[in-house]
Amino acid sequence: MASTTESAAAASAKPFDIVATYNELLRSDPDLTMPIAAIEALVLLLTQSASSTISETLDLLEKSTAHLKKSIPNPIGLSAGTDLFQRYLITTLQRPGQLGPAGDFKAIRTHLLSNGRLFIRRAKESRYKIADFGRGFIRDGSTILTNGGSRAVSALLQKAADEEGGPSAVRFRVIYVLSSTATTSGDSSEEPEGMETVRALREKGVPVSTIPESAVAYSLGKADMVIVGAEGVVENGGIVSRMGTYQIGLLAKAIGKPFYVVAESHKFVRLYPLGQYDLPIEQRVLDFKSEEDIAESTQQSSETTTNEERPIELPLSASVDFTPPHLISALITDSGVLTPSAVSEELIKIWF
Amino acid sequence: MAEPTNPALTAPSPAAIPASEPQTQSLPIRDSKPAKPVAKDAAPTDGAGDADKALTPAELKKKAKAEKAARRAREKVEKEQVGGPAGGAAPGAGGAGRGGAPATPKKDAGAGAAQKGGKAAPPRRGSGPVGAGAPAEQKQKKDDKKVAVFGHLYGQQRRTTVAGAGKEVHPAVLALGLQLRDYVVCGSSARCVATLLAFKRVVESYTTPLGTSLARHLTTHLSHQITYLSTCRPLSITQGNAIRALKLAIAGIDPSTPESSAKATLCDFIDSFIREKITVAGQVIADSAAQKVQDGDVIVTFAGSNVVKETLLLAHNQGKRFRVSIIDSRPLFEGKSLARALAKAGLDVQYTLVHATTHAIKDATKVFLGAHAMTSNGGLYSRVGTALVAMSAKERASGVEIPVIVCCETVKFTDRVALDSIVVNEIADADELVSSLPPQQLTGLPDPGANSPAPIDNKKGGKPTSAAPTPETSAASSSTSPLANWKDTPNLQLLNIMYDVTPAEYVDMVVTEMGSLPPSAVPIVHRMSTNL
Repeated sequence: MASTTESAAAASAKPFDIVATYNELLRSDPDLTMPIAAIEALVLLLTQSASSTISETLDLLEKSTAHLKKSIPNPIGLSAGTDLFQRYLITTLQRPGQLGPAGDFKAIRTHLLSNGRLFIRRAKESRYKIADFGRGFIRDGSTILTNGGSRAVSALLQKAADEEGGPSAVRFRVIYVLSSTATTSGDSSEEPEGMETVRALREKGVPVSTIPESAVAYSLGKADMVIVGAEGVVENGGIVSRMGTYQIGLLAKAIGKPFYVVAESHKFVRLYPLGQYDLPIEQRVLDFKSEEDIAESTQQSSETTTNEERPIELPLSASVDFTPPHLISALITDSGVLTPSAVSEELIKIWF
Repeated sequence: MAEPTNPALTAPSPAAIPASEPQTQSLPIRDSKPAKPVAKDAAPTDGAGDADKALTPAELKKKAKAEKAARRAREKVEKEQVGGPAGGAAPGAGGAGRGGAPATPKKDAGAGAAQKGGKAAPPRRGSGPVGAGAPAEQKQKKDDKKVAVFGHLYGQQRRTTVAGAGKEVHPAVLALGLQLRDYVVCGSSARCVATLLAFKRVVESYTTPLGTSLARHLTTHLSHQITYLSTCRPLSITQGNAIRALKLAIAGIDPSTPESSAKATLCDFIDSFIREKITVAGQVIADSAAQKVQDGDVIVTFAGSNVVKETLLLAHNQGKRFRVSIIDSRPLFEGKSLARALAKAGLDVQYTLVHATTHAIKDATKVFLGAHAMTSNGGLYSRVGTALVAMSAKERASGVEIPVIVCCETVKFTDRVALDSIVVNEIADADELVSSLPPQQLTGLPDPGANSPAPIDNKKGGKPTSAAPTPETSAASSSTSPLANWKDTPNLQLLNIMYDVTPAEYVDMVVTEMGSLPPSAVPIVHRMSTNL
């Protein structure tokens, strides 16, 4: 990520660097999701820019969005935010009245900025709303299998754990699938994604068992349900999520356990992947090599170390897969608990 | 529910009987065939004895059963007498058959045994020309030319001429009706556009009669045109949707508007409807569906959809390299023009008929389908054979899963629900299946296809289900088509069904002008597009 920022910063000669702002926002606030960081970056851009007409604003927005999408290796989550913001802007500007095209542009601008901030605050709150909706799914004595580092899942589980000792004491156990890719990448200092949640849950007295991905099928018999997070929810109700979610979904379907997805509704993306290889990102998970190729590539890398300015592919630990809708039992979102087919309805409502 | 169809195929006469009786009773009676003389004798006496007594349900049942057995036996005897000398041997032989294998519920068992024992000619073969019962049977056969399951779809015969059309029907509509009937204008979008254009001419040449207003009278005037069109060929969903929109527009006209401006408004409405809902919609769909075509794809499509053609041509023009495999079917061969158009544009095209579907699907990567309509439960209502292609693409057993993409304008959406292809469908003239030229023969020998069913027929002991013509007729007609005189062939029905329904779970994506949707979103979009 750091190298992306640097290269992007070097490439753009603009006074305000949207990519750097976006990355900075993500780094500074661990609670921030990608779409929200994108919206916040766009709001900051609008405050800094000195645009004075509507078309100028929209043009600037479009250009920076395209630039941002190009500079980030996985723009799926981010594009949900930028699309939403753009849509919101256009509908606000088309609305008749003081803030419409006939109104004073300064008023429109301040209105947009304040509403953008409001939107961000609401989006952050939505995670707690989801926790309220999803709490009912976690029953007394149940065992939940989860994976990845989703903050929404973490919020939901912690909310359920907090109630322990209260009037509605929910005792549950968690099987946490920890990704092995992070540890095998050589960076031993970095702990696998989700360890933080595991610690927090254990602190609250929830028994947590951590398993590697290879033990999912073995452990699924002991679990009552699977709850996962998502990076993006696509139009057909499927999800784009951390690599490994798809196989958990397949296993859960095969064993007959419910598979729930926890996602904020601002993660709904206008994207319709038909399969694993139909995602608009470049990721080299499958890399076929013979002994010869390996020798060649090591030789090449030792020869040309200067040629580092190439577009960066997603590292294996950050790669994603697509879980098709027929594997998903329900989506727990801040606009209610939805079936996968209801996602397209929600998206159509936003867009038309 | 094999009961109603089975008799229809085997013997025409008892077909009507089980319908009036409880279903459960018809089966045991089949087995009790040898006992029928006894039952025949017993039934009247039983009936007389029980007449004054109050009957328990069980007794009633028994009585009904006995009566039915008696009736059945009587009919059987009559029929076999008509059938010729072999008839006399049948009851006895049937009895022997029952003693050996009592579990055989088939009617054929009796006939088969009779033939084995008596060495007589197959009774059915002989029964046609001779005997007093011939006219009655002939009449029944006429009715049997309709396939029972689809009986509700036959309706009235399609119009064959403009004679008898009402004087209100506009000449443009008269011409269109015949074009629709002859499939000159075919495909739901084309039919919709042609209808709207014809109606535009109707509106242009319309003058409001005295004492009424345009908004009130034009609707009834249009309904004459619509009735005429629907006698030529049942209206498509698109035609229905367009007519509904047009009628709504007519009804929305202020009665105080002068006629000329009202007519201009309506013509504008028709033009913009065609442009927005079909022309531009098709371009938008082609644009977004072409994005799903990737280099190296092998795209399977069924029959000839205009939107699919536009999509594939656009993708080709965008420089994508892919192969197209067109699956086509009789009798319309809509894929031929698609194949020609794509090949002319420089695409790599493979053309097969529907029986080679599994072969074509094997190396496919995507399936693009056109639609006649999309129903509210997400079903794809399209040319018959589409479901077969979609389902073979989704069959997991073959080890591949191929996305099925439907290209469909929202004007084709309907609020109807289709659970199967039987309740709502269209039946075309069955003669269309017959009239195809036989392949050219070089050997000069009689067509093996025409002759082969006859020997099989004999071997199986005259099993009445096989639909072979008699040797003489097949020899005579081998130069044309073995089915040429199917209407005179007993027990043979031809079914020329037009559409089928692909369930929603076999469709991955529906590309519309309002974006790509899962099939489950069809009702939402339909609601939105009709409310706008």
